[in-house]
Amino acid sequence: MAFFHQSGERHTLEGQRVIHLDRIASRVISLAKLPGKNRRAEVAEELCAHLEDLAEEVRSEGYDEKATARIVRMRFGEAEEVAGAFASVYAPERLAKLILRSAMLVTASTMSVVVVIGGVQLIAAICTATSMVSILRGIPQEVFGFGAVTAGYCSLYAGERIFPTSLAKALSPSITLGLCLAALFGWLVPHHAALPLAAFACAAAGRLLQRVEIPFVWFAGTALPLLTAWALFGPLISGWQFPWLVWVGLTVSCKALREIVRLFERVFVQDFA
Amino acid sequence: MPFDRELLKGSIALLILKLLSERDMYGYEIIQESLRRSQDAFEFKEGTLYPALHQLHKRGYLHSEWRTGKNGKQRKYYGVTAAGRKAARRSEQEWLSFTKVVNAILSKANA
Repeated sequence: MAFFHQSGERHTLEGQRVIHLDRIASRVISLAKLPGKNRRAEVAEELCAHLEDLAEEVRSEGYDEKATARIVRMRFGEAEEVAGAFASVYAPERLAKLILRSAMLVTASTMSVVVVIGGVQLIAAICTATSMVSILRGIPQEVFGFGAVTAGYCSLYAGERIFPTSLAKALSPSITLGLCLAALFGWLVPHHAALPLAAFACAAAGRLLQRVEIPFVWFAGTALPLLTAWALFGPLISGWQFPWLVWVGLTVSCKALREIVRLFERVFVQDFA
Repeated sequence: MPFDRELLKGSIALLILKLLSERDMYGYEIIQESLRRSQDAFEFKEGTLYPALHQLHKRGYLHSEWRTGKNGKQRKYYGVTAAGRKAARRSEQEWLSFTKVVNAILSKANA
């Protein structure tokens, strides 16, 4: 039987120092990125039991603890290699889980965007005594906008997860998706393509500035693409004003999306670590 | 004698299934048993054995359960399922045919 000291060293009840076998197993588990908490625990337990047997065998040959630790590590092999072999066994399962959870994130995000922007429009309609029918008439075009906001935000989040150390690389999924959506919207709804694309850019920029520690700076992220469009095209269109309502809807949406992403990471943190 | 990795790859599942078809064993025991039978010539590496056990388990060729061993320690024992026995027979036949052909070629080349 063994227990841990606060220092992290492991000892038997008799006070003998035990090799940090669980560290070897933990390293394999963390590198292998096995799907599911129970599976990770089971594999760790199995490897620990194996390492204990191995250590016992080496000790019985008369080696001291230090030599035993070295021999066990050597005979067990590189943790990276063991982890790589485990990862390839569970790769299809991991991929399936990743796709399922990504779909859940996108669905939850889209629903929240619909609720937030719908709510903002409803409040605006009540305040300005506008007929709901006129708002509902524009729904088919707005569907593209809802999708674009989710796509802008989630694509940058995906980029951050895939390339955690490089911002330039993290932006690449958003840029690629943005160009694809520009082509798609230009083909499907050529006269209404501008707003969904602006919404996409606003959501991505909002997510980008949410990385900055200073509070509320990301408000500028949602405003910047709209301000650019306003500065470029505003003077060309008579009576065109800065779309405050759109900006409010996008900003609140980004706040809601941030909370959804945080919740998602809390729930699935181990699988996406 | 160290064997070529690529050469071993194709026979790992067969060796595991054959060893386990005699009795249920845990990972460390499989390594010890393969060493004993091969007179220390063949040793499974952990990085090969455990992922292979999990792969065979996923395919339904093995079943597993945690049991308390002779020394009171908990061990994960593996055993062969009916599908595993069938796969082992098929694999063994393939292996025997393959080695027969290779031996035939080698014996002629050496003659």
